[in-house]
Amino acid sequence: MHAFVIAWFMVTVTVIFWSKPASAANTTLVPYSIAKQYTNLTRDDLREIFFGRRTRWPDGSPLRVFVLPDHDPLHIRFSKEVLGVYPYQLRSVWDRMVYSGTGVPPTVVESLEKMKAIIKETPDAIGYIEK
Amino acid sequence: MLSVISKNRRRERLTIQNTNFHYYHIATAAFTALMLSYGQDLPALGLGMGDWQAHGFASQAYTLSSNYNAYGHSTRSGSLDFTEIGVNVLGHIQPNLLIAAQGLYRNAGGSDREGLRLDFANLDYSFSLGKQATAGVRLGRVKNPFGLYNDTRDVVWTRPGVFMPQSVYFDSLALRQAMIASDGGILYNRFAVGDHALKTEFVVSNPLDNTGGAAEFLTGIPNARGELGGRPLFIGRMGYEWQEGRFRLLFSVVNLDRDFKSATPGVSSGNLKVLYPLASAQLNLEDWSFTGEYGRITAERRGFTPGGVTLENTSESFYVQAQYRFTQDWSALLRFDSFAANVNDRNGKRSAALTGLAKQRFFSHDLTTGLRWEFAPNWLILGEYHSIWGTGLVSTVDNPDLNQRSGPERWDLFSLMLSYRF
Repeated sequence: MHAFVIAWFMVTVTVIFWSKPASAANTTLVPYSIAKQYTNLTRDDLREIFFGRRTRWPDGSPLRVFVLPDHDPLHIRFSKEVLGVYPYQLRSVWDRMVYSGTGVPPTVVESLEKMKAIIKETPDAIGYIEK
Repeated sequence: MLSVISKNRRRERLTIQNTNFHYYHIATAAFTALMLSYGQDLPALGLGMGDWQAHGFASQAYTLSSNYNAYGHSTRSGSLDFTEIGVNVLGHIQPNLLIAAQGLYRNAGGSDREGLRLDFANLDYSFSLGKQATAGVRLGRVKNPFGLYNDTRDVVWTRPGVFMPQSVYFDSLALRQAMIASDGGILYNRFAVGDHALKTEFVVSNPLDNTGGAAEFLTGIPNARGELGGRPLFIGRMGYEWQEGRFRLLFSVVNLDRDFKSATPGVSSGNLKVLYPLASAQLNLEDWSFTGEYGRITAERRGFTPGGVTLENTSESFYVQAQYRFTQDWSALLRFDSFAANVNDRNGKRSAALTGLAKQRFFSHDLTTGLRWEFAPNWLILGEYHSIWGTGLVSTVDNPDLNQRSGPERWDLFSLMLSYRF
C-alpha cells in the first residue's frame, strides 16, 4: 500500500508540473449572420437560451439550440465573450439536465461548416458562427 | 466578435441526415429498440417535434485499500465492485413539456446491491413568468434536489472525484437509497435580475426507503424486516446564484417522518423522524473551484426499545474542497471531509464507552487528493488517494467483522475510475 501512495504522489506532481497551461486561441473573429430576425437578443436572453432554460421563441415555436464541442476555440470564445461565462459552467448545467432528467441540452455539431448547414436546414434553430 | 444567428422557418419536419448525429442515432436506436418498436419512428408517432436525445455513461472503478474493505473486497489485490452504467432518453413533447427517463445499473459492493433500477422517469411542465423567470412542476420518479451534487451523484462526469465526499453524500449507510430519488412531485422556480438569480425547489414524495436496507438503518435494528410508511418525504432547496453559478449559496433540507410496521417477531413497530439541513457554498473561477458543504442529521427513533424511550442523535458532516483545472483536460482535487456520528462526542470516546466499540467507529476524517484526465472526447480517467482516520463511514456489509475486531484508526484508500459517455 505504501508503494501505491508514494507512486500516486509522484504521478500527481509530475502531471501538474509537466503540463503546459492551455493557450488561448488568437484567431481573429469577425461578425457574420444569416438571418436577422432576432438580432436584438440581449446577453440575458442568450443565457436563458444557451443554458437551456428558455425552450420557446416569443411566437411559441420550439427553440432548437446548436453549439460546437466544448474544446472548440470558437465555443470557448462564445461562452466567454458573448455569454460571459466559462465553458465548464455550461457543461456542468447541461450534464445536470441530462443526468437528472430536467432539461434537454443543446445539440453539439462538429464544425462551423456543419453548424451553418444545420441552422439553414433546421426550423427555429439558433447557434453561433464566426463572422 | 461573434454574432448570434437564428433561422426561424416555417415548421417542417426536422430531418436529421447529418453524420454528426450518428451517436444520436446509435443511442436512440439502442434505447428505443428496448422500449418501442423502431427508433426512427419516434417523430412519426405523433409525439411532436422529434427533438429527442439519448445519452448514457459507463464507469468502472478499481479500488485498493489497507485494513478495511470499501466498495467490495478491496484489501489485498483490490476490488472491481464499483460499476455505474446509465442510459437515458429526453425529449420535448411540447416546447414546455419535457419527458425524461433513465435506467441505472449500479454495483458498489456491499453498499449497493440493487443492480438495475429506474433512476428517474418524469414529466416536467414549465412556464415563463417573464424574461428571466420560470416556474414549473415535475412529476413521476424524480431525482431528489439536495446540496450541490445529489441530483447527479451517480454520474462520475458530474461529481468531483471517484467517490463523493462521504460525510455529506454517504454511500455506505443504507439511507443512501432513500436520498437518491423518490416518487412524487417537485415544484420549482427560478427568478433572475441580470447576473443575480434565486432558485427554489420543493419536493413532496414517497421515498424509496423500502429498498437497500433503509429500514434497518432508519430503525437502527439489524436485520429488521417490515414496512416503512406514513407521511411523505419533504425536501426543500433554495439558493442564490451569481453569473450562472460563478458563485452560489444553497440551503437544502430533508425532512423524513416514517412509521415502521415491524414484520420481525420480537421487534416492535415505531416511528422515526429525520431532519437533515445542509448549507452549501461554491466559488467557480476560471482555473479554480472552491466548495464547502456543512450539514447535520438529527434522527429521532421512538417505540423501538422496550419502555418506549425516545432515542435522539445528531451527527455532523462537512467537507471543504479545491479543484484546479490546470489544462482543459486535466484537473486536480484536494479535499478534507469530516464526519462525527454524534456532534456532542466528536472523538467518539463517550460513545465507545457506552457501546464497547472502538472509538474510531464514531468518526471519519478523509484527506483526498485526486487527478482527473479527459484523455479523449467523452473518455475520462480519474485517480484518487484517500488517507482516512476512523471507520465511521465504513460499510459493515463489506466488513462483517468490523464491530468485533480492533483495526487501526488510520487507513488508506486508492481508486482509479474509467468512464465513457455518449
